[in-house]
Amino acid sequence: MKISDTIRRAGRSLRQAKARTLLTSLAIGVGAFTITLSLAGGQGGREYTDAIVKANTDVNEISLTKKVPVTTSIQEYSPDAAGMTTDGFGGSLPTITNKDIEDMLKIDGVESVTPNYAPSVNYITAEGKKKFVATISTFSPSVTLDFKAGSVSGNLKDDEIILTEDYVEVLGFANAADAVGKKIEINATKLSTTFAAQPETKDFVYTVKGVSDASGLAFRSQGSLLISSDAAKEMYTYINEGTSAYGQFFLAAVRVKDASQAEAIKTILNDKGYDAQTAADVLGTVNTFINVLLGILLGFGALAVLTSVFGIINTQYISVLERTQQIGLMKALGMSARDVGRLFKFEAAWVGFLGGAIGSGLAFIVGTIANPFITDALKLGNIYLLKFDPIQIAIVVIGLMLISVAAGIFPARKASRLDPIEALRTE
Amino acid sequence: MIEIKGVTKTYGKKQNAFLALDDINFTIPTGTTVAIIGKSGSGKSTLMHAISGLDRPEVGEVIIDGENILTLKQRKIDAFRASKMSFIFQSFFIQPNETCYDNVVLPLEIAGVPRGQRRAKVEAALAAVELTDKIRKKASTLSGGQKQRLAIARAIVNEPEILFADEPTGNLDSTTGGIVEDFLFNYSKKNNATLIVVTHDQELADKCDAQVVIVDGKIASITGFKKTTLKAKDEEKLLEPGEEEELLEATNERHDGGAA
Repeated sequence: MKISDTIRRAGRSLRQAKARTLLTSLAIGVGAFTITLSLAGGQGGREYTDAIVKANTDVNEISLTKKVPVTTSIQEYSPDAAGMTTDGFGGSLPTITNKDIEDMLKIDGVESVTPNYAPSVNYITAEGKKKFVATISTFSPSVTLDFKAGSVSGNLKDDEIILTEDYVEVLGFANAADAVGKKIEINATKLSTTFAAQPETKDFVYTVKGVSDASGLAFRSQGSLLISSDAAKEMYTYINEGTSAYGQFFLAAVRVKDASQAEAIKTILNDKGYDAQTAADVLGTVNTFINVLLGILLGFGALAVLTSVFGIINTQYISVLERTQQIGLMKALGMSARDVGRLFKFEAAWVGFLGGAIGSGLAFIVGTIANPFITDALKLGNIYLLKFDPIQIAIVVIGLMLISVAAGIFPARKASRLDPIEALRTE
Repeated sequence: MIEIKGVTKTYGKKQNAFLALDDINFTIPTGTTVAIIGKSGSGKSTLMHAISGLDRPEVGEVIIDGENILTLKQRKIDAFRASKMSFIFQSFFIQPNETCYDNVVLPLEIAGVPRGQRRAKVEAALAAVELTDKIRKKASTLSGGQKQRLAIARAIVNEPEILFADEPTGNLDSTTGGIVEDFLFNYSKKNNATLIVVTHDQELADKCDAQVVIVDGKIASITGFKKTTLKAKDEEKLLEPGEEEELLEATNERHDGGAA
């Protein structure tokens, strides 16, 4: 018997038991639905974090903190325990000092070391407007930004600033484009004079170079205003000079000359007592989280598929019993045991195909409809969390067909071993 | 030509053993119509199963066109049945939910007949049983007689050389039964095909060229064969036409008496 004829006969048999076929398929469909959605979520999630990390980190950059010393016994007080500063939570964190930075620069392959200045300023304002709280971060040319208006090519000049969208309206600009080229002021206090009768403050004036979008990708610079590294250093120096915290940083970025050296330099830095993370590490951490989540969801899907396997075995057994005479006739007419078995395996494959197609199709429709709402609820900007890959869906459907065939093996064997004489005995 | 030599079939084991067929010998020349007659449980269906290779008796040979089908591999027997044999059953065994076309095309699919040749063959077979207009109809819409005619169309579609009919008219009234019988005999005559009818209907048996009466797994009498086709020990059982009824009655009486 030709394979194509067997497949068509199998399909026809299923059509004659529509309700049963559909119900059995739906059981697999639940599994297919779950699996397709989890895979789409995993795919979208990975792409999302990938985009975030790519937009916010640089492959040439290693971010590091000093390792927190693990103390196993009470330590004696030392008045000159240099390089420790309070972290504001009652404990103390080790900090990176200028001497550390000099040491790091001596490592072969290190291009530059930039401490995280993060100057804490009082407010931002424009002429004749109210004052608003702001955080300042350092602009990095390797970090991708979505611009609402204006743009930056290469590095930012020292008197330039990138605003976020939120500040446009409150600072009295008509729209983002209107803000570009305008001047804004940032006020900071010199900390060493805080307790003086008249604390010393200074207005730093910047020209708006661009307005960044409230993108779902930016997590480091979200809400932060960006100025050049040198401008940040200048502001930091003004604010902190003369205090005990001056020249001590929690965070620094090591720039390597070649991205391929990043991993080796990271090892050296770790040996020297730093917690160093490359861009790949950051991505890896986030992806591990996503993979665990994905694994749990896939587990549920697999469970649903496992349940449906018993459904297939059950319905196929009933089908064999119901069609005893038909099988007997086909065998009497010369159909081989192999072809009879094949007929039932193809029926199972059809059920798997139907279930897979229904489940995946529903998942695709539901996911496509839900995507904008998810993005809205999670504030992902212009990114969709569920990414459907046609190849992935095809693999899911084919995989379920194979599983169904495996489930159909026992009933098919029963059918193929049926004795035609017994089957055709008239009652 | 079908040669049946010493076919013996036992069911069960040791003291429970039941001899369903006991050393059956006879030869059916090609194109003959043969009736295998007997009461239910006499072994007539078992004999048909043995001749068609559906069953494998432990002793004996069934030689069709020079080949002992009982020693063939299962695949070869399947292929043999698909290409040379066909069956008609008392309960039709047609698929009611399928169209007449799909019912009749089944043996062609099993035999692997190229798709291009199928339609013409199905149409010819349906025309032979006068069901041409039902080709697209579902089999469940047919009457009993039409269903058996459909089964005949399915049986003859692949032009078998040997046609087995197991009580073909058992479920039909005499008029429709007569029509069905005519279709069967016509096919045999036109194609020089061997027709083996298993029945307890004496009228149908009388229409056949030869009659084999089976009682308790043994040949009780044989009518219509030439002596050359029989083994010496069965020659005495060869009767003249008309004689066999008497013998059948006698054996039946003995059988009934024994049972009571």
